[in-house]
Amino acid sequence: MIPRIIKDLLKIKKLDVSLGIFLGLVLLSLLGPMIYPVDPLSVVGPPERPPSSAYPLGTDNRGRDVLAQLIGGIKNSLYIGVIAALISLGIGVVIGAISGYKGGLTDSSLMLMTDVVLVLPSILIMMLVAAYLKERNPIFVSIIIGVTSWPWVARAVRAQMMSLKAREFVYMSRIAGLRDIRIIVEDLLPNMASYIFMAFVLLMSGAMIAEAGLSMIGLGVTKGISLGIILYWAQLFESVRRGLWWWFMPPGACLVALASSLLLMSTALDEYFSPRLKGG
Amino acid sequence: MPILETKGVKAYYSTPLGYVRAVDGIDLALEKGIILGLAGESGCGKSTLVNTLMMNVRPPLRFIEGTIILDGKEISSMNRSTLKKNVWGVLVSLVPQSALNALMPTQRITDLVKDVVTHHMNVSEQEVISMAKKRFEQLNLEADALYRYPHELSGGMKQRVVIAISTLLNPKLLIVDEPTSALDVSTQKQVLKMLVDLKRAKIIESMIFVTHDIAVLRQIADWIAIMYAGKIVESGPTNDMLINPKHPYTFSLVNAVVTPEPEVKSRGLISLSGEPPNLLNPPKGCRFNPRCPNAMEVCRSKEPPLEEKSNRLVACHLVSS
Amino acid sequence: MNPFIRFITRRLAFLLMTFFIFLLIIFALPRAIPGNPLASLLYQIIQQAQSNPDLVKAVYKKLLEEFGMDKPIHIQLIEFLGRLSRGDFGTSIAFYPRKVTDLVFSYLPWSLGLLIPATLTSWVLGNLLGALAAYKRKTATDNFLLTVFLTLSQTPYYWLAMILLYVFAVIIKVFPLSGAYSPGKMPALSIPFVLDMLHHYALPFSSIIIGAMGGWAIGMRVMVIYELGSDYVSYVDSLGLPDRKILQYVFKNSMLPQITGLAINLGTILGGALITELVFSYPGTGFLIFRALSTLDYPLIQGTFVLIISTLLLANFIVDLIYAFIDPRIKTGYIGE
Repeated sequence: MIPRIIKDLLKIKKLDVSLGIFLGLVLLSLLGPMIYPVDPLSVVGPPERPPSSAYPLGTDNRGRDVLAQLIGGIKNSLYIGVIAALISLGIGVVIGAISGYKGGLTDSSLMLMTDVVLVLPSILIMMLVAAYLKERNPIFVSIIIGVTSWPWVARAVRAQMMSLKAREFVYMSRIAGLRDIRIIVEDLLPNMASYIFMAFVLLMSGAMIAEAGLSMIGLGVTKGISLGIILYWAQLFESVRRGLWWWFMPPGACLVALASSLLLMSTALDEYFSPRLKGG
Repeated sequence: MPILETKGVKAYYSTPLGYVRAVDGIDLALEKGIILGLAGESGCGKSTLVNTLMMNVRPPLRFIEGTIILDGKEISSMNRSTLKKNVWGVLVSLVPQSALNALMPTQRITDLVKDVVTHHMNVSEQEVISMAKKRFEQLNLEADALYRYPHELSGGMKQRVVIAISTLLNPKLLIVDEPTSALDVSTQKQVLKMLVDLKRAKIIESMIFVTHDIAVLRQIADWIAIMYAGKIVESGPTNDMLINPKHPYTFSLVNAVVTPEPEVKSRGLISLSGEPPNLLNPPKGCRFNPRCPNAMEVCRSKEPPLEEKSNRLVACHLVSS
Repeated sequence: MNPFIRFITRRLAFLLMTFFIFLLIIFALPRAIPGNPLASLLYQIIQQAQSNPDLVKAVYKKLLEEFGMDKPIHIQLIEFLGRLSRGDFGTSIAFYPRKVTDLVFSYLPWSLGLLIPATLTSWVLGNLLGALAAYKRKTATDNFLLTVFLTLSQTPYYWLAMILLYVFAVIIKVFPLSGAYSPGKMPALSIPFVLDMLHHYALPFSSIIIGAMGGWAIGMRVMVIYELGSDYVSYVDSLGLPDRKILQYVFKNSMLPQITGLAINLGTILGGALITELVFSYPGTGFLIFRALSTLDYPLIQGTFVLIISTLLLANFIVDLIYAFIDPRIKTGYIGE
């Protein structure tokens, strides 16, 4: 039986549309290689050809298939997005939870650290670290992104924690003598589950865009392909000036579609869980 | 002529599950110079009623039908901009339930006062300030408070400041919605004293005072109207109502509170069981029948009309018979 | 102590501390990498200046001296900080023999000229449009605007730049393809030059504002909707205050968090704008950073990053000052969360 909450959520139009777009693209990346088994990185035809029946999205300046690149690129961008989001989520939730629950000196010092990371622009820090690494595999890139994007999550989790902490059921657990960690994990975090999920969605969206940004300067993954890397090559080989619109438009459009659908999902979930925002 | 007269006023909340009948057929006549206490349990529709009485109706609340005549003018047929220009603040003012939050945190009291008064009256800013100062002094409020930001004032101060501001344009009717609910006892006394002073100094002629606390009504109301599930079930002079309540609901309300009057004290404390009905689907017949200790067969099928009985208005089959 | 001064001092201390932490990061990074970075750098230099062994020797000497790679770590740090305080960031390798400070200051003005107006314009426009959407909430206009803002907020400026460039410089050739001014011209304060510059300025400027606007609009819309439902709004409404005046109040209250938002987002806008410069070959710090990073020009990397971050922190401070002036709660010492 489908739990009631899932049924309710599926009734929300915004959620259906965004989920549809997002899952559609995910499916494309997963099934793509089977339906369209072209190697994104090898030369398959004449260079700089516009879309045709042979090459649905044309070829790039070396003669590689753009559609194949897109499919592979979406998959890698998603992969890095998920890993980076998980890392940020982990760091942010842990720091926010401890900070909000413990209060006092622990709170002040953790928040101070959070503020410092918040002020320093993550893209610049990412660029700095990435530049000094010779080999950058997807995990490294995810770590770099993950480790700089967590401050807002920590702050938000802390705020939620502080308001939940004062509730009765927590008080009961404390009187019962349960250890702090247990209280945090069993009582408090489950109540923030919806929020944590939304944070994950937002983090993922941000991470994919961050990866694209890094790749645009040539600091993305050293081997392989991603939406950002396609854009990097497109930019490097002057696709705009040469009018090769099929090369730079699709990857950007996919990136925007993925990120926007994730954001829309998060907004829809937010409206569902806190109805006041619906603007009545 | 009564200052406020309503006939068959209905206002419902439009929700996905249907209409919530918060105000369901109210006939009211408030004479000039009276303080009317409107009482009832939380959720019976009191706040909705007083907002509707001045036609402050915004979605999801909808004004369904009825007439409201305020100071001889039929406000139930006016549109929002006419109401804002000629009625609200000038003829009738509402001191909201959340008066503590009614003041904008980033604005000094003086600025609020200036904006409100200059919109309605053609006076200079200095005149406004001196008007406000005079009014504050009349009501035993430090004129200093005018120059403060809301967060610099205490809860009780804020409440009294909001009441004072609501009287600045000298409305004929002042509606005060639960002014004492969020305050401690000594501050409550200050606020009540201020309201009594308003009447005594003839600043305000008529008042409607909404509360769920019967004990407070003794101190201030001339006339009490009891509301239950969107309808008025009994109304009459304060003392009579408290000593000799006729409607079973009034009876239980009065007896749930400790009062010094010996006649009431002798009856002891009686509490009412059950809960107020869901206004989406109110019970058939008399809405009080599920909880009424004296419910009869007819109560479950026919709604009792609000009738005059000696010096009261009562809606009860038991009383009518 | 005056609460206003207390607030400012606290913020200043925080920003200075952040700056120092960043300096430490910048200092530690090249030195923390396994393997001899200098050796690999040298190899690169040799590759670039194959024909000129003297040049290579000169660069190597300069590098050694400025980076002090042969001295113990704490001496390196002291020298580093000392040199920084004198404003000496060393000599660039990729642009040898130009000094880093010299390079940065010749490229920085172009970036600032793009960034500052673009940030401010997008902020103002975004807030206005957001308020409009909130005022018309739940209507078709609102839904449409919301979708547009949502998508825009997730659109990278540089991709937007590519699209604009393609449409307006390749298909309809109304704007130039690259650069801050036409090649061959010398920067001067003459009308023709300024016009030419503005002509080149249009597309980069537009990409940034269109891209940044969305985020502001969404935030403002939420704030205004929230404020419109607040108790003080219903109160003044019931006192007969006209809608126009109420919107003024609401706008003012919604702006405060948006100013804070500006401070927080400055870094993100900066990053996006820098990458956008690449698309336009705009001669700003974006171009400089790109060059520095791809050639591992340590002095240049150090210099550009430190200068950019200090500008950013300064901007943060200015925004804090403005906020402190505007929010009466700070002046009266109200401490709340």
